Amino acid sequence: MRRFFAAEAAFGDEVLEVRKFFNWIGISLGALLVIAFVALSVMAGGPKDALYMVRYALPHMHRGNLKVGDSAPDARIYALDGAETFHIRERTGAKPLVVIFGSFT
Amino acid sequence: MQIFNDYKDHADFLTVYVREAHPTDEWQMKSNVKDDVCYAQPRNLSDRLAIANDFIKRFKYPLPFGVDDMKNAANDAYAAWPERLYIIDENGKIVYRGGMGPFNYKPAEVRAWLAERYGEVKRVEANPAAH
Repeated sequence: MRRFFAAEAAFGDEVLEVRKFFNWIGISLGALLVIAFVALSVMAGGPKDALYMVRYALPHMHRGNLKVGDSAPDARIYALDGAETFHIRERTGAKPLVVIFGSFT
Repeated sequence: MQIFNDYKDHADFLTVYVREAHPTDEWQMKSNVKDDVCYAQPRNLSDRLAIANDFIKRFKYPLPFGVDDMKNAANDAYAAWPERLYIIDENGKIVYRGGMGPFNYKPAEVRAWLAERYGEVKRVEANPAAH
């Protein structure tokens, strides 16, 4: 009987240790998330901006696979009247082509 | 703009309008409200063309210009969003690939590439008051 209680006590200590370990993991992850969110807020301009950045910007930001030396991909582009189209590669050949991608906002 | 003025005899330029970065229905910036640049994300080509035309008119933008299609084909091919710069040489090879904007959008690197190839060019705008 004494051996049984001794084993139970030892097991109970192990459970406590495991609980402590997971508590620390939880606290550390929580602290990391808070730090990351604060850093993102500073970078984006505010907490709301940080949320919007994660929601609307990050899904569209890609490094891409193109490298210097790769053949430039082609794509159809609309002229400003919307009626005519041309291809990026149609504009290459005579001189180097500087391509500027962007939007109004 | 100044790079275009300086190097337009040596290089061709093309601006491609891609999906909006900070539309009113997504992540709108206070600076855009202040500057009265408030547009919802275009849902069809005519909306996209309308914004592109507003941009051209507002800034009297002189560079050759085109608009990405609603499948965002150019954007996807070049990982262009929100803004990015490339130089394609006469053989159709990418010779300069800029970083992702806005933090790594660096027109100075384009100027440096052009300057290395064609030398430093700095055109001085004619002063209309002198005439």
